[in-house]
Amino acid sequence: MLARTVTHALVGIDPRRVEVEAHIQGGIPSFAIVGLADRACQEAKARVRSSVAAAELEWPPSARVTINLAPAALRKEGSGFDLPIALAVLAASYQVPERSLEGHAAFGELGLDGRLRPVPGALVAAEGARRAGLTHLVCALESAPEVALAGVEPVGVRHLGEAVSYLRGEHEPPEPPPPEDDFEVLACVPDLADVRGQERARRALEIAAAGGHNLLLAGPPGTGKTMLARRLPSLLPLLGDEAALEVTRIHSVCGTLPPAAGLVRVPPFRAPHHSSSVAGLIGGGAGSLRPGEVSLAHRGVLFLDELPEFQRPVLEALRQPLEDGFVSVVRVAMRAVFPARFQLIAALNLCPCGGRGDPAARCACTPERIQRYREKLSRALLDRFDLAITVPRPRGHELAGPAGERSAAIRARVLAARERLRTARPVRTTSADELLEHAVERLPLSGRGHARVARVAATIAALADAGEVLPEHVAEALSYRMPSEADR
Amino acid sequence: MSELAVALFAASTDSHLLDEPRSARFERFRAELDERTVLADLGRRGIRWVARGAPGYPARLRRIHDPPPGLFVRGAAELTLFDAPCVAIVGARACSAYGAAVAAELARGLARAGVVVVSGLARGVDGAAHRGALDTGTTVAVLGCGVDRDYPRAHRLLAASIAERGLIVSEYPPGVEPMPWRFPARNRIVAGLCDATVVVEARERSGALITADLALDEGREVLAVPGEITSLLSKGSNHLLRLGAIPVTCLGDVLAVIGVEAVTTPAVAIEPRLEAVRAAVAEAPAAIDELVGKTGLSAAVVAAALAELELAGAVHQADGLYRVVMPAS
Repeated sequence: MLARTVTHALVGIDPRRVEVEAHIQGGIPSFAIVGLADRACQEAKARVRSSVAAAELEWPPSARVTINLAPAALRKEGSGFDLPIALAVLAASYQVPERSLEGHAAFGELGLDGRLRPVPGALVAAEGARRAGLTHLVCALESAPEVALAGVEPVGVRHLGEAVSYLRGEHEPPEPPPPEDDFEVLACVPDLADVRGQERARRALEIAAAGGHNLLLAGPPGTGKTMLARRLPSLLPLLGDEAALEVTRIHSVCGTLPPAAGLVRVPPFRAPHHSSSVAGLIGGGAGSLRPGEVSLAHRGVLFLDELPEFQRPVLEALRQPLEDGFVSVVRVAMRAVFPARFQLIAALNLCPCGGRGDPAARCACTPERIQRYREKLSRALLDRFDLAITVPRPRGHELAGPAGERSAAIRARVLAARERLRTARPVRTTSADELLEHAVERLPLSGRGHARVARVAATIAALADAGEVLPEHVAEALSYRMPSEADR
Repeated sequence: MSELAVALFAASTDSHLLDEPRSARFERFRAELDERTVLADLGRRGIRWVARGAPGYPARLRRIHDPPPGLFVRGAAELTLFDAPCVAIVGARACSAYGAAVAAELARGLARAGVVVVSGLARGVDGAAHRGALDTGTTVAVLGCGVDRDYPRAHRLLAASIAERGLIVSEYPPGVEPMPWRFPARNRIVAGLCDATVVVEARERSGALITADLALDEGREVLAVPGEITSLLSKGSNHLLRLGAIPVTCLGDVLAVIGVEAVTTPAVAIEPRLEAVRAAVAEAPAAIDELVGKTGLSAAVVAAALAELELAGAVHQADGLYRVVMPAS
């Protein structure tokens, strides 16, 4: 007897339809899986057999069971095939009516006791099911909210037995927990009110949020650079439906979605350690192609602390996504395109020992060491930062002072500024133009530096709700320019 | 006497020579040397040779007790540059932001008054002095290696811009590598070329102090910029002050010593609305956050005011700290 179930494999962040065929014939008892299944997939044999027993169902006695995963040429990875394999075997052995599987896809990992475990990528699998014209997806109960987002009816079950009784029409699946409210989620994002003093850095963060500018924070360690960066998402607008779905899809594949979160509405924040590899940051990997940190930060914030400590190839690899908003990862056997439109915040010390710029510490770095430290960052990378500030060590009475302005108030200004930039972008007045030209003559300001100052000045004008870019806006923008390396 | 033969022989034997040695080896070297080819080769590379006996040789340098046999010169400026008043600005390589700012502003003011700023192209104070001087005038870099070596490498671009407008000189022929013992020898040329030497920041036993000693030996003026008494970086320069060096508190102090009239630049008009911020910076070097606290203005207004003050040349920023530039008088 032959039976068939449908599931979806992940290729990058895209679903590929996979048919799971189970064939049972007489002969010496055996259980084989064919169709380029990887190790985790081969091990499904043990899990599926035990689960069937645990669900008080019967493994076909004295029979050769063959599973084929079609298309056979596509490499299959992971444990999401457990459930479809089990259901195909049960259908082939007449324990589940085959007709009941129509319109259903299945996705999930089985435990030896038959329980169903969630597998990363449920949202993508559900999107595949919708595109294939299927209406239901049998999955782990925890995955049900994710599946619902794709517009497919989730059949969230806790146990293989529950799935079988649903297919036999004996039992309705339990209701999935409702997704959390967006605003409750927002309440968990750290608030800028926690940052005391640091007026300069708060202002820079507000401008960065309004204009989507990349921001470079320099300063001695322990001055709150990381704390500031973590609070940028709280100033950004919530993600719209389309953007939220894009972000949720990536996080679903990487297994970084919080349980029962629904769509990711708050812009994500990612802070990979400086020992990260190129593949870890950009995406890739030896087996399946996985999105990297730049894609996990899609529509959100990528924070790189200790920027010069990152390996040079990693930093250079960042330039392409910063420019294009996506990464294209190519391996011999496959190719994947991941979205990667993120805002970059980077922090660095002023010297390798961290003492420079800190009145409380003495820097013992030689000029050669400082030079080497700074030369790790290429001009081309530094050119991507519109804003650069030095974060000083806050003095005692600032830390004892009142809490700063709350993120919600700042976000309101950011939203208004974004709207203005989108609809009626402020243009420079003649006197603002004169100031900018004067600055180009007086300061070491390159052509690119000129363009950066102009962009930032427009954002500042929009934040001030001014119809035109005035000289004072250009002047403030000038104060965020990259410090000239020539002074060293 | 052939000064070129002496210079080349000294370089080839790693020795320090002022006059022709009486040795058979030198005689052989001299007999084999084809000076015309060497000079033609230098000329092709844009390098001039000024022998001690030649008219272009700097007069002040000729007066020191051990003048080099000649100078290899690279750069577009005329040799008459050395007839103008010259001031050496020297100091620590690992200088502070304060040291770099003072060196640059001092050099800027001196160059504007027509003074040639001489230094050693090292990092830190030397580099800041060359850059400042190039803003308003010209400068001379004295190297402890061949003039084609551009040492340190980090100052390659700086060396190129000096060559465009000023001079790069050395007593060593092109191709000679920098060696530790050559730097003190280089310092005697820095001091020897100048009417006065200004030490900006120097640790104890630093190269800048050697330059100051050499200047004193030749009866030239030595000035020092006062530094924090708690900082090792100013220990050497403050020590010079205790020994009687002239303190530099403004540009006028240096100009007075060499007897040069200050060029009165039209004072940059500071708009009244910027005055509050300027006054706060003048009290003590401060970061923007401190200035926000002092003035009660918002970070945005303070930042805009500081940028305008910076453009007007009234304040200077390094490592996040703003300070007013050195007073002219």
